[in-house]
Amino acid sequence: METVTLTIDGRPVTVEKGRTVLQAAIEAGISVPYYCYHPGISIDGSCRVCIVKIEKMPKLQTSCSTVCTEGMVVSTRDAETVAARAGVFEFLLVNHPLDCPVCDKGGECPLQDFSYTFGPADSRMDFPRRTFDGEGVKADVDFGPTLMLNRNRCILCTRCVRFMKEIDTDAQIGVVDRGCGSEIATFQEHGVHSLLSGNLMDVCPVGAITTRDYRFKSRPWDNPTVVDTTCTLCSKGCSTSAWLKAKPEWAKGSQLIRMTPRFNPDVNGYWMCDIGRFNYHWIESETRLRRPMIRTAAGLEKVGWHDAEPRLRDKIQEAAAADPDAVRFIVSAHAATEELFVLKQMVQGLLGADGLKSVSMAWTRSEKPQPPNAKFKIPAANAPNVNGARDLGFMVGQGNDGPAPDLAELKAAVEAGRVKAVYVLDPGPDGSIGDLSWLVEARRTGKLSLLAVQGVVMTPHAAAADVVLPGYAFVEKDALFTNDQGQVQSASLAIVAPAEAREDCLILAGLARALGLDIAYQTSDEVRRALGGAMPGTAYAGAGTVVFTRPVPAASWLQASNPSERWKWDFMFQDLPPVKGHNVQLEGLAREGAGPNYIPLRQVDK
Amino acid sequence: MAYEPVLTRHVGDQDAYTLDAYVAKQRGYEGLRKALTQKPGEIIDLVKASGLRGRGGAGFPTGLKWQFVLKDTPKPKYICCNADESEPGTFKDHVLMERNPHLLIEGCAIACYAIGAKVAYIYIRGEFYHVQQVLEAEIEKAYKAGFLGKNIFGSGFDCDVFVHRGAGAYEAGEETALIESLEGKRAQPRIKPPFPAVAGLYQCPTAVNNVETLCNVPLIMMNGPEWFTALGPEKNGGPKLYCISGHVKRPGVYEASMHTTLRELIYGEQFAGGMIDEHPFKAIIPGGSSVPLLLDKDLDTPASFDDVQKAGSLLGSAGLIVLNDTVCMVWLAKNLLYFYRHESCGKCTPCREGGDWLFKLLTRIEQGEGQAKDIDLLFGVASNIAGKTLCAFGDAAATPVLTTLKLFRHEFEAHVREGRCTIPAEWRARQPMLAGHH
Ligand SMILES: Cc1cc2nc3c(=O)[nH]c(=O)nc-3n(C[C@H](O)[C@H](O)[C@H](O)COP(=O)(O)O)c2cc1C
Ligand code: SF4
Ligand code: SF4
Ligand code: SF4
Ligand code: FES
Repeated sequence: METVTLTIDGRPVTVEKGRTVLQAAIEAGISVPYYCYHPGISIDGSCRVCIVKIEKMPKLQTSCSTVCTEGMVVSTRDAETVAARAGVFEFLLVNHPLDCPVCDKGGECPLQDFSYTFGPADSRMDFPRRTFDGEGVKADVDFGPTLMLNRNRCILCTRCVRFMKEIDTDAQIGVVDRGCGSEIATFQEHGVHSLLSGNLMDVCPVGAITTRDYRFKSRPWDNPTVVDTTCTLCSKGCSTSAWLKAKPEWAKGSQLIRMTPRFNPDVNGYWMCDIGRFNYHWIESETRLRRPMIRTAAGLEKVGWHDAEPRLRDKIQEAAAADPDAVRFIVSAHAATEELFVLKQMVQGLLGADGLKSVSMAWTRSEKPQPPNAKFKIPAANAPNVNGARDLGFMVGQGNDGPAPDLAELKAAVEAGRVKAVYVLDPGPDGSIGDLSWLVEARRTGKLSLLAVQGVVMTPHAAAADVVLPGYAFVEKDALFTNDQGQVQSASLAIVAPAEAREDCLILAGLARALGLDIAYQTSDEVRRALGGAMPGTAYAGAGTVVFTRPVPAASWLQASNPSERWKWDFMFQDLPPVKGHNVQLEGLAREGAGPNYIPLRQVDK
Repeated sequence: MAYEPVLTRHVGDQDAYTLDAYVAKQRGYEGLRKALTQKPGEIIDLVKASGLRGRGGAGFPTGLKWQFVLKDTPKPKYICCNADESEPGTFKDHVLMERNPHLLIEGCAIACYAIGAKVAYIYIRGEFYHVQQVLEAEIEKAYKAGFLGKNIFGSGFDCDVFVHRGAGAYEAGEETALIESLEGKRAQPRIKPPFPAVAGLYQCPTAVNNVETLCNVPLIMMNGPEWFTALGPEKNGGPKLYCISGHVKRPGVYEASMHTTLRELIYGEQFAGGMIDEHPFKAIIPGGSSVPLLLDKDLDTPASFDDVQKAGSLLGSAGLIVLNDTVCMVWLAKNLLYFYRHESCGKCTPCREGGDWLFKLLTRIEQGEGQAKDIDLLFGVASNIAGKTLCAFGDAAATPVLTTLKLFRHEFEAHVREGRCTIPAEWRARQPMLAGHH
């Protein structure tokens, strides 16, 4: 790596050649404010707050647009820079409403934050502020199906415009009018229609763009902990962060309150899609499966595991007695690798080497409506672990690239009465396993004698099942998923599953034991160790040593996520207390350091 | 020795704009013919030797600008002629384009040849609709006569010239904003570097040159650099157009050498002919609305780039706005800030927010409702804009405030003290329309 060395505020700083002065300052932990700069989009040089003094240059320069040269001498703290910068901050607040108490960004707002640090103590502005509120018009407007735009708060950094133009590649947003009348708008006020829309909330440095999902739901100081994890809603496997909101003291525990992207240069860059961002409500929804159930004359009845397991064992054994091939498994590609591994051991233990034939993998596929040249593409396969299944030897056809499985062979076998019992493993959201209405129908007509469903939410097939076993959603367990590029990634336990639910790989291990197999796993760690041992020389060999991330204070979360914002968040969240009453199990497990989805600081921001 | 106009000598003739008259009276397209017998590098050297400086405002050496245009690139290169002419008090390019269009067309072709471009775009101010029509008709004739198009004079050199009508913004005259506008985007400037010479139009190497600048090029080709240099003071050679407006007897466009003093331009019989009415001279803005004021004591300054700068202002676009004692300086600043506030492109913070603030402060003071602290605030806000913006517009917007405060602070103080304007009411010029409030 070619480097250059410059001096910033008297400190020698060595950076990779081609870096800007702002990037060098951030890397060295020197505070320089910025708004229009964002490491994931082009440089604009318009907000002017990043100005610094550079020796031999006639005027103050914007550090975001000045490339470091050898021997450059930069000052961010001399009187001239300090005064000029304060002047720019005064301008930024001339028309800003300063409605922080009712603004969603309050508490995690770079405008608040930098203004306190670098702005003047008072504003000399004594004219009424410009507002976009007027007769019959509000400053706060709909900004498409997912977003709201508060035009008064906008500081016109144009990060949103550039994101749409450069990353989404369907510009949609633009600036209309000019001068102090400039405002952010979409054509004919259509709003933003994009599967990447949620990123606009992330890039907006003020509370101008907010998501309808998170709006007014929480305050940053109410969700002081974050868990680094991986999205499992499609085969891309974006690195994400799950934000936990502390419940009121009397309720204890924490609640999943939002998902945000986490920088990963190899997978998702700085971004994530709206599916992964907004589709988490199923996890803590009303339809959540909380306890095992078995079918009685009165319908599905909640029971304990000690009732459900023997019932399941008996039914399976009954179906298998005449013909072992009469028992089949439909497994969602939302199943984690640990689950697939235990399942594999189970079916091979029961049926011998070609036991995998009893398992049909299932997932769905949908082409996402995105511009053809979008820089962030959402894959068609709506499942995170097709490649994990492939690597363990399950039949996945052409995998992520091919069509979703149609289960025709299984369907025919059920129709023909050759299959009597079907066990469905479905730990994803409702519908993610594909259409199983034919299965429900087969159970209703009596073609099947057993329909068992292990899952997370009440689906039509769960509702029709004889036995229902509640498992964990991906944010409730430590688990491995292999994305469409073949990267083995970890999703970490962030929130606690309902008390009676069980970790999916352990449900399977329990079932295997009930069926007489010697599969003794007590924790998913043990499963991973066995997985690693069983697959030497592969990407899975180290499975037993994977360190999963734990809830961390938001400050360290941001260090990992977006180093360019590091210093700011470092001091912002420093003193926040941990979530009260957080799960004991988590605290016991908390470890120092980084898991595989933790990006060390220096390696980022390519 | 009387100065003989060369750029505008024939503009009064009925047929001045025609190709025939241009060829017959001005040895039209001889400069291009001569240029095509030489190497492009030699043309650049000639222009460098002439010392020609850009007439758009900054006075940057044209030959040097062309030399900076990236050579080693497979990308096409472009000439963009800046015909946006929107600086208040500036109206010279318009005369050249309307009355002597072939001089510009020939200049464009030579400039293209010099930098290795095949296309020149003339970005013309949107309001110059009639000029655009003349220009396009004459370009058509130049094509028919073989002065544009393929294989000009059998040299193998191809050149196209297109006229692009501007989108109606002062800021579109800033060179990178012009390029953006030409590409079909909002006329907002780009951060520099990269400079247009490296990444300009469609990210290709580009030279942006003012109309008057390019009009000088055929003259240099024909008459040689020494002739050009000899016309004016050292480093300020060649003919120069001055736009004189304000309280003078004969406002208009005048061609002179840069030896000519501001006083001669205002009072000379062959120029503006002196002040109108009995009102005495008060001040002059010598370079379009964006530059500092000069006073009577400065009037013996030659109207050259370097001399006007030495006197504390800038020659800019050579728009001389002459003011007599009926002009209230607070009103002047307010009037100009009305313009700058309206024209700010809004891209960068200090200009977007500060321009509006200045206008509001000036309005308050001018209406007699200001306080003493407002005067300091005015200075503070203007100083916070100057030098902190993305493009030179910000400096231009701060200048009317800073220069009036520096030279006429007592008028601001009088407004505050008396609660009204101290210029007799009957002298006061028509007020600008008050800005519609956003
Ligand atoms: C706000 C602003 C407006 C400008 N308007 C014009 C204009 O109308 N015409 C022009 O030739 N140059 C204008 N300029 C100067 C151009 O940016 C550029 O310097 C010039 O066109 C270069 O040509 P020259 O080297 O031949 O002077 C403007 C500059 C600024 C900052
Ligand atoms: S809405 Fe937000 S991101 Fe967009 S320009 Fe305004 S402040 Fe910047
Ligand atoms: S692209 Fe896929 S992995 Fe990434 S956030 Fe969207 S659904 Fe999740
Ligand atoms: S100085 Fe004014 S005109 Fe220039 S970029 Fe900034 S806002 Fe636009
Ligand atoms: S961050 Fe440098 S100008 Fe905005």
